[in-house]
Amino acid sequence: MLLEILGVIALLFGLFFCAVGVLGVIRLPDTLTRLHASGKVATLGVFGLLLGAALLMPSTALRLLALGLFVLLTSPVATHAIAASVHRRREILDELEQDPAPPEEEAEEEDFQVDVTAALSRSRIQDIIEAQERALRHHQPDIKRPGDSD
Amino acid sequence: MIESEFALTAVKLILLAMVSLLLPASYRVIAGPRLSDRLAAVDLITTLLIGIIVMLALVEGTQVFVDMATALAAFAFVGTISIARYISEGRVF
Repeated sequence: MLLEILGVIALLFGLFFCAVGVLGVIRLPDTLTRLHASGKVATLGVFGLLLGAALLMPSTALRLLALGLFVLLTSPVATHAIAASVHRRREILDELEQDPAPPEEEAEEEDFQVDVTAALSRSRIQDIIEAQERALRHHQPDIKRPGDSD
Repeated sequence: MIESEFALTAVKLILLAMVSLLLPASYRVIAGPRLSDRLAAVDLITTLLIGIIVMLALVEGTQVFVDMATALAAFAFVGTISIARYISEGRVF
């Protein structure tokens, strides 16, 4: 009778942690925090359930112990694999975001180009003004081909 | 085997609660914004299934279900590792 009461208490312990883990997986805002919640289910929840089952049914205690050790070993490894994949993916995304960092150099180049075109257009405007003055001096208002009048 | 009526009723109620936990856990599989969220939720559902199978072994009084739970834990570990590797590397092997 004492073993059964202890077993039911252990089962309730495991059920409580399973419910808290499911609640955390639903409610928490980020992937890593959700992984933190589901890791609690794997270790505390299922291990509590297995402990309660071993107390309620002592003939299968050895198999339940083997299953508990296996879950206790593999489940944190699986959770860590998911977390590492999320972390690595984030690093890759950060690298991709930092890759277009040379926009500063591009912007400087663009400024330089803008300066060159401005200088070119300025000299072009000066050429046109000089041609107009030359044409006015020679009373030939032909500004389309200014070099012919000379 | 469980003899007393009190323990059997408690185990059945806890089994019912564990099965009803599967539905809110599958919400994250459907609505997870990223693949890693869905993978974490599937891993959580598999862990809950291991607990449910062990509770079923308690109710039925057989040892076969415990071996089933061990096999499920092994295959779930391999599957989770390979899908996590697919997420990070873009390929499994």
